[in-house]
Amino acid sequence: MAKNPVPDHVPPEMVRDFSLFTSPGMSPTPNGDPHAAVACVHAGPPIFYSPLNTRDGRGTWVITRASDQRRVLQDTETFSSHRNIFASALGESWPMIPLELDPPSHGAFRSLLNPLLSPKRVSVLEPAVRERAIRLIDGIAASGTSCDVMKDFAFPFTVHIFLHLLGLPDDRIDTFVGWARDLLHGDDTKRPPAARTIVSFIDELAAARREDLVDDFMTFIVQAQVEGRRLTKQEVRGVGVLVFVAGLDTVAAAIGFDLAYLARNLKDQELLRSEPNRIVLAAEELLRAYPTVQLIRVATKDIDFEGAPIRKGDYVSCATMIANRDPTEFECPNTVDLAREDNRHATFGYGPHRCLGSHLARREIVIGLEEWLSRIPAFRIKNGTAPITSGGHVFGIENLILDWS
Amino acid sequence: MRIIVQNAKCQGHARCAAHAPHIFKLDDAGYILPGNIQVVEGEELTASRGVRSCPERALEIDGEPSSTG
Ligand code: SF4
Repeated sequence: MAKNPVPDHVPPEMVRDFSLFTSPGMSPTPNGDPHAAVACVHAGPPIFYSPLNTRDGRGTWVITRASDQRRVLQDTETFSSHRNIFASALGESWPMIPLELDPPSHGAFRSLLNPLLSPKRVSVLEPAVRERAIRLIDGIAASGTSCDVMKDFAFPFTVHIFLHLLGLPDDRIDTFVGWARDLLHGDDTKRPPAARTIVSFIDELAAARREDLVDDFMTFIVQAQVEGRRLTKQEVRGVGVLVFVAGLDTVAAAIGFDLAYLARNLKDQELLRSEPNRIVLAAEELLRAYPTVQLIRVATKDIDFEGAPIRKGDYVSCATMIANRDPTEFECPNTVDLAREDNRHATFGYGPHRCLGSHLARREIVIGLEEWLSRIPAFRIKNGTAPITSGGHVFGIENLILDWS
Repeated sequence: MRIIVQNAKCQGHARCAAHAPHIFKLDDAGYILPGNIQVVEGEELTASRGVRSCPERALEIDGEPSSTG
């Protein structure tokens, strides 16, 4: 029998029937809207306990207000990011770096990696990103009046950029996407083998780059120094695995949700097509409306938080999709307003662990939308098809079939 | 108008600089440079947009409340 997922110190009246994995709308749903489905928590208290709110079936406290999430994520002393999520799928224990390190050791790795994905660096990468988008979309436009955005554009576009960054040829896109899918959306039989495959891939890549230096990310990592020393093999693996996992899925999902929104809202689509200079601001709003991840922290000590008795070791969930629909932070949070200003959304997290790839992700989304809208005429979701959306560890969308005939 | 910069809170989102790169200067990693910022006349609106777009609330307007609300 499963262990009782509600610990004794949690007052029963603070438990809510809610989970990003099992609530209505979270399993794959045709024409679903998982973001709207989670927004219902704002009718309730600022914090509650949710059994079964992680992939491995653990309970978490759920923080529903953006300002409280900011407080949790900024306070790394009380709320640790050290969880070994990836390694634990293998029965091992090592952190993905820098995500699962806390300050102060987090800082050294963060300073090492920040310049690789800084706003300046991203502007250098931009022409290659744009060229890739144009090539893909021109190909799609030339071959018909319909396509599956996820398969034909979102994944090849984002995964190519990430392979390019890692210094890998892109003839293995399908393989990598398959690994990511098994890891992030697969069941208990698929996840551990996928994790193992990714680890050996990263280990082999690192070994190859130690032998033969080339001008790429992995070479940089194996040569890099933190605190005056080289990274250990396990640290190299921790960095490599994180970059691999983070780069494969999230931006593609965001582009999918964004184009699905525009396919259903022709006025907004037309507005952005006729006034492309609005896309940068609009992309920010789409990032707010359709974020993809739940951030989880572990309490390092007992603390009472907004009336909730959080105990050392408890999991605390800061779901970005919940913060971004907080009515005390955003006016009419469930309305997509492409002209929204002051858009301090939680999509890339708060605090020292702010998404390292946020500057690149943003540019990929903006460039993807710009090139798509300038090359593809008014598009809708193809009659008789329904995009399948899901909640869970990373919110996702599959099979977005668009039609512009 | 003056902007108080709390560097300890800055996490390098670069949203301030996205609104006004000439007002909010970032280091090579994308974090805001130390030192409070004196905003010249005529730049108040842009500057306050930059302040309000900081997800960490690392920026604060000092003195008269901005006329833009
Ligand atoms: S928006 Fe805030 S966190 Fe981001 S760079 Fe500017 S001050 Fe720093």
